[in-house]
Amino acid sequence: MNKLLKIEWLKIKNYVAFKVVAIFFIVGIAGINYLAYYFKKRVIDRADPTGLLSGGLPFAFPKVWQTVSYYSGCLLLLPALLLLILVTNEYTYRTSRQNIIDGLSRKQFIESKMMMGLLIALASTIIVFIMALIFGFSSGTDFNAKGIENIGFFFLKAFTYNLVAILMAVLVKRTGFAIAVFFIYTVVENGISLALFVWAVNIKRDSGTDLGNMGNYLPMNASDGLLYSPFSSVANMARSILPGDYNWLVLGLALLYVILFFYWGRMKFIKSDL
Amino acid sequence: MAILTVENLSKNYGHIKALKGVSFSVPKGSVYGILGPNGSGKTTLLGIIMNVLRPTAGSYKLFDEAATDEHRKQIGTLLETPNFYHYLSAVRNLKITAAIKGHGEEDIEKVLKIVNLWQRKDSAFSTYSLGMKQRLAIGAALLGDPDVLVFDEPTNGLDPVGIAEIRNLIKELSANGKTIIMASHLLDEVQKVCTHVAILQQGSLVASGSVEEIFAQDDIVQLRAQDMEKLRQLAGQITGGKKFSVNDNYIEISFDAGSPDLESINRLCFDNGIVLSHLQLKKNSLETKFLELTTAK
Repeated sequence: MNKLLKIEWLKIKNYVAFKVVAIFFIVGIAGINYLAYYFKKRVIDRADPTGLLSGGLPFAFPKVWQTVSYYSGCLLLLPALLLLILVTNEYTYRTSRQNIIDGLSRKQFIESKMMMGLLIALASTIIVFIMALIFGFSSGTDFNAKGIENIGFFFLKAFTYNLVAILMAVLVKRTGFAIAVFFIYTVVENGISLALFVWAVNIKRDSGTDLGNMGNYLPMNASDGLLYSPFSSVANMARSILPGDYNWLVLGLALLYVILFFYWGRMKFIKSDL
Repeated sequence: MAILTVENLSKNYGHIKALKGVSFSVPKGSVYGILGPNGSGKTTLLGIIMNVLRPTAGSYKLFDEAATDEHRKQIGTLLETPNFYHYLSAVRNLKITAAIKGHGEEDIEKVLKIVNLWQRKDSAFSTYSLGMKQRLAIGAALLGDPDVLVFDEPTNGLDPVGIAEIRNLIKELSANGKTIIMASHLLDEVQKVCTHVAILQQGSLVASGSVEEIFAQDDIVQLRAQDMEKLRQLAGQITGGKKFSVNDNYIEISFDAGSPDLESINRLCFDNGIVLSHLQLKKNSLETKFLELTTAK
């Protein structure tokens, strides 16, 4: 595995797009959290100075885990797109072929891409963890690990996005086309997810049966759905009419989708002509 | 020992049959040409052997064993096009190749010098001309000094000097005991550098064997006389004649190269009361032979 990662590293270490995306991503995470912080200070603090409605001050421990994970999660399309391009590049340059010709097995090739997806997700998670510490301590509160599972949910979301990107790349092969399909899929899934949510609300209202937020049962929304906005005061107030959050179910589904994407992409690459 | 044994290999793309049950075997130390026109299945065949394409049926062996990834690491291969990371330099690309093969990093300087790219070793692959890309691919195949090389159209995109260089390189490699499997649509290239040849036509193997055997160029004797009917009857008695054909003007008899004796033919005819008005020795050209092989079906 070490050898495979070394090969991947040789491929990306001089790749300009890799460096650009890495910098954009890190700056972006700092930026989006700062924007949220600024918004909170200017707008929310006036209405809710003690954080009562949001269940705690968003940038103070322990709420900061959720806040930073939630906002940073909005940027996860960036590393996913990078991975998508890294994989479609292999098709464009026909190096996927050459790597196999030179002696990699197909399994090694695709699994090293998945491993890259895992490592990039881990690296993103570490960045978010550090960012949460910075915001948490600079708010003057003491370290508190309550709610730290949000960092784990962030990791799951990052890994899911990366695996979806690799899967799209393996299925579509052409860079531009794969990016388009990836975005269209994301939009369509969110659309269906919203419709399912509305449906779940109606079912609960009409029959009293609470099926949970069914929008979160779809592949990418499952890992999205584990991260909640820290400013969900409206949702908190409407709790009684909204479907319940079946977090364990959503977590289970999210893990199931990860396994599905992993084996699907792997099987597709192993079985097809290059 | 056979370096490569192909048994009844077939490949379908939908309902298109790219390979139809091809079998042959490449002996160690040979320069084995796979000859055929464009679209005859050469690259498909090599693609299957290199595990980038899945065969529909049939099997193949490398080094007399069921093929594995480790075998491919012992073979230097250029398949169809030079495939490299466009944004990386020659050296960085070759480092990746060496890392995959698990050997050969110490050879990078040597192979880049062999293929005349040392001066440009730090330029990005995307800045290379077609010929330079092709040469880098040949260089990559040479990494780690493999005993077996597979070249698919190795002289593609090269200028005449480059073509001569690569042909000399192949001869040199062969002289050093390497086995070379080379696909080409150039008859003359195969004839110049190969010891063995397999001829593919629309996915079928038309002929395979040593180059001398396959390209044995027959000598052809053309005869004409007043009484063509009588001449035709007599033609069967001419010693050494293999094939007879009659067209409007001549009777043509083919012989093994160097064997026809015009004098005795002339005498035989004269003794039997036929006076020849035309007697000519013709060499069957390689192209004619190739056309014969690939169209006779």
